[in-house]
Amino acid sequence: MNSLLRVQALAVNTFREALRNKLLYTLLGFGILMIGVGVLLATLSYVEVDEILQDMVMGAIRFFSAGIAIFIGIGLIHTEIERRTIFTILSKPVSRTEFLIGKWAGLTFTVWLQLGLMALAFGVVSSLAGAPLGAGHAVAIALIGLELMLLVAIATFFSAFTTPMLAALFTVGLWMIGHLSRDLRALGEQSELESVTSMTDFIFLVMPDFEVFNKTLQAVHGLPIPASEIWLAIVYALGYTVCTLLFGSMIFQRRDFK
Amino acid sequence: MTVEGNQVIDVQRVVKDFRPGFGLRRKRVLHGVTFQVYQGEIFGFVGPNGAGKTTTLKILMGLIRSTEGSASILGCDVAESEFRDRIGFLPENPYFYPFLTAREILDFYARLCGVDSRQRAARISELLEVVNLSYAADARLRTYSKGMLQRVGVAQALINEPEVVFLDEPMSGLDPIGRKEIRDVILSLRAAGKTVFMTTHILHDVEMICDRVAIIVKGAIRHQGRIEDFLPDATVSTDVVLSRLPAETAAELEEKFSVEMRGLGERVELTLPEKRVRDVLELALASGADVISVTPHRSSLEEVFLNAVQEGGDPE
Repeated sequence: MNSLLRVQALAVNTFREALRNKLLYTLLGFGILMIGVGVLLATLSYVEVDEILQDMVMGAIRFFSAGIAIFIGIGLIHTEIERRTIFTILSKPVSRTEFLIGKWAGLTFTVWLQLGLMALAFGVVSSLAGAPLGAGHAVAIALIGLELMLLVAIATFFSAFTTPMLAALFTVGLWMIGHLSRDLRALGEQSELESVTSMTDFIFLVMPDFEVFNKTLQAVHGLPIPASEIWLAIVYALGYTVCTLLFGSMIFQRRDFK
Repeated sequence: MTVEGNQVIDVQRVVKDFRPGFGLRRKRVLHGVTFQVYQGEIFGFVGPNGAGKTTTLKILMGLIRSTEGSASILGCDVAESEFRDRIGFLPENPYFYPFLTAREILDFYARLCGVDSRQRAARISELLEVVNLSYAADARLRTYSKGMLQRVGVAQALINEPEVVFLDEPMSGLDPIGRKEIRDVILSLRAAGKTVFMTTHILHDVEMICDRVAIIVKGAIRHQGRIEDFLPDATVSTDVVLSRLPAETAAELEEKFSVEMRGLGERVELTLPEKRVRDVLELALASGADVISVTPHRSSLEEVFLNAVQEGGDPE
């Protein structure tokens, strides 16, 4: 119980800190701007205007939300160490695992809040354009929320033991690979070399599969999203996030704060 | 003077190696540091820059791990975190979230320490009063001066009413009034039966308030013990200032006692061994000279400290 209260205090503080980060507003502003630009670009097409609009807008939401999650997440722990605020926190009855989880929870809540704002902009733009809105859209956006939760965990993981520059490189790399690993595996299956197939299979298994959370196509075209796929995404996000934070915590435990 | 009672801090043969960079040889910064701190005392941990004071303190706070040896506080291994609601820590040059106010940051630390929500507000107000920050309690910390941040640091270290308080350079950045206030806080902690472990460069403060002291040089403890043991009561020398001293008496003093005289206008200053003071004063007074001042000098902690630093070769 006390542990939960400590994590809550750390999360609330991280949330307050993130709300003061100028990068958050810059990326949020760009995201909302891109949503507006999406309307303009969609009008250039004569066919499937609504689908193109929603596809572009959801793409912008995913891209800019991921930007916020990564670029605020990578400095999450490093800033605490650099400013030495971590000294007073860890001298209290706070374990390093609680600290890591508190930071992750605070930033996850922040990116969910900005996702909510972008989703609102998406709803307004769709309504103004007369594009249909349904439960599928809500599910697709909620799954982006799960993707962001995992992405924040990955950024926190790297932030726990490396510099913001390297953490950014690794997190962006993993996010991109995570969206391409299915294509990579499909490409590997075409190869006649077994070693190439094994390697692409291995990459697919080890790397996070962010396409699990991508239901934009179904939402935009009004196709059903099976409940099994939603559950798979939830379990996948939770499992991968827990494992990532666990590994991050194990490394963080061994770290010296000079 | 405290009685060496319950052991509160126990550091046994602590060694710390750092690797300065990838692929570089390890550098030993602590060489088997051993000391104990007892309940209710103010323990001064002094040493020159880079001697290993802060490294030792960070090991005690669980911020870095020792390479060898053991350290415990209140009977608990320093690697644990549960007992930390019984201790307080002020790091050197503390920094806090600039977007929070003093009241908010203390509330944050109180929550981390599990301070009861019904007592939190009262405890925070009380501490702000103690560190003399009530007037700025609701101002953002980014507007605070260094001295004010130091006082916030002291307040957060005491938020959980700790049994043991660790202070890293607590007087750093404070003006004379601020230093006196912090000294008073430290003395009031001892009066309340708490234990204080402090590192400082200001030896005068150590002499004034510490019960025991350890001097660390190049990562090894050179001296430790009660402050009285460092500073024997015996006077090392005495400065005597006289005026209207007749020339013939001055010559007699020089000849008889081989004293060195320095002229200060109409006055002369003499530095004497203690055993000569009475004879010199009797002779001077008999010649009609006036005694302006007699100042005995004791050995200071600074001298002990400087000797320890000068003696200190490489520990290994």
